[in-house]
Amino acid sequence: MTEHDATNFGTAGGGPIASISQPVPDELKDTVTLTTVDQAVELLGKLIDPVANWARSNSVWPLTFGTSCCAIEMMCVGMSAFDISRFGSEVFRGTPRQADLIITAGTITRKMAPALITLYEQLPEPKFVIAMGACTVTGGMFNDSYSVVQGADRIIPVDVYLPGCPPRPDGILDALLKLQQKIRTNSLAERRRRPGGMRPVRYVDYDTGRPMEDLVREAKLETELALELSDSAEKS
Amino acid sequence: MSHDPASAPAAPESLEPGRFGTFLADKGIASKRLSDSCGVETIEVSADDLKRALAELRTNEETRLGLLLTISGVDMADSIDSVYHLRSYYSNDELVVKVVTPKASIPEGRLPLVPSLANEWPAADWHERETYDLVGIRYIGHPYLRRILNPWDWEGHPLRRDYRQPVDALNDKNPHSFR
Repeated sequence: MTEHDATNFGTAGGGPIASISQPVPDELKDTVTLTTVDQAVELLGKLIDPVANWARSNSVWPLTFGTSCCAIEMMCVGMSAFDISRFGSEVFRGTPRQADLIITAGTITRKMAPALITLYEQLPEPKFVIAMGACTVTGGMFNDSYSVVQGADRIIPVDVYLPGCPPRPDGILDALLKLQQKIRTNSLAERRRRPGGMRPVRYVDYDTGRPMEDLVREAKLETELALELSDSAEKS
Repeated sequence: MSHDPASAPAAPESLEPGRFGTFLADKGIASKRLSDSCGVETIEVSADDLKRALAELRTNEETRLGLLLTISGVDMADSIDSVYHLRSYYSNDELVVKVVTPKASIPEGRLPLVPSLANEWPAADWHERETYDLVGIRYIGHPYLRRILNPWDWEGHPLRRDYRQPVDALNDKNPHSFR
C-alpha cells in the first residue's frame, strides 16, 4: 500500500475498500458490474432487501421497556382486545439482544437516560425506536423540569413519534404500522449513512445525569487552565 | 406555595393551643400552634424538642400517634420547614409538627440542621434522605444521609426557591440542541 493510499484509508465515504479501488474505465463499463465490496453488498441488498424487509417488518420484536403510565397502554395493546400479535409484534423480549424495537413508554429521566442509551446500544442492528407519549416526544408536561430529558430524540435517534398522554392502544398499533412501512422502504445501507449512524445521538453520564460532551468540555477547560497556571508558575 | 406574611391566615398568638399542644405543654415541651392544615392541628416545635416531643406523642396512652406518615420539607420565602405528619392507628387522630428554621439563622453556604428521627422511626430513613436530596435539610444523626432520587453527584437541591439548573443539551430550548 502506498503512502497516498494509507492517508486516504477510510476517510472517503463508502468504507475503506471504496477508497483504495480505482474507478472503472469507460471502455469496460458494459462488461464490469462489480468493482467494490460495497457495490456487491448494495446489489445483494437490492435482491435480498425486499424479502428481508418484509420478514423484518412483520416480526418487529419490541423490548419490554416501560418507565411510567405509557407502559400500561403498552401492556393493553398486547392483550386480546387490541392484540398486537396480529401484526407480529407480540413477543415482548426481556433482553435488548433479542429485540428490534424500543417503545420508549414513559418519561425518560436523567437518571434513566444512561440506561436507555445502554439498552439502545445493546439492540442488534437493524434497530428502531418509537418515541411513545408526550414525555418522550418533547418532555410533555415535564417541560422545564430539572430531572426529565426533554424528548428522547436528544439521546437516541427516533423513527416514529407517537404523541398523546398517554396515547391509546390504537395509537401504538398505528405507530407500529407506520414503522412497518418505514422498514419495508429502507435498507440497512441507508440507515448506516444517516447522520450519526446507528449510534446514540448523545451520551449521558451515569453519575451526574449530564451530557458527556459538556463534562468533557469542562474537563478540557480545567486542564487547560491548570496547564496555563503551571506554565506561568514555571516562567516566574 | 407562596408565603406572604400580610395575608397569613391568623397571627399565631391569637390561636389557642389545641389538644396536642396542651398535652405537650403538660409534659413541659413548648410548642406554638399554627393555623390548621386541612383541618388537622398543626404545631411548631423547636429543633431541640423535636425528638422528645415525638417520642412522647408516640408512646403516651393518651395520644398514641404511632404512625409517621411522611416527612417533607418546604422552602418558604424566609424559612425552611421540616414537616412531620403523624397519625394514630387507634383513634384516627392526626397531627402536623413543623420545625421551622429561619433562613437568617442559617450560615452562608450551609444547610439547615434538624435532628434525625431515623433511629427511632425506621420510616423516617428514606423520607429524610429524600428531603435532604430535594430541599436540602441536613438531618443530624441520620445513619446514611445520601441523595436518594437524584444522581449522587447532583449539584444543588432542586426544590429550593433559588435553585437554577444549568442549561445543557438535555433541557435546552435552543433548536441547535435538537437533533
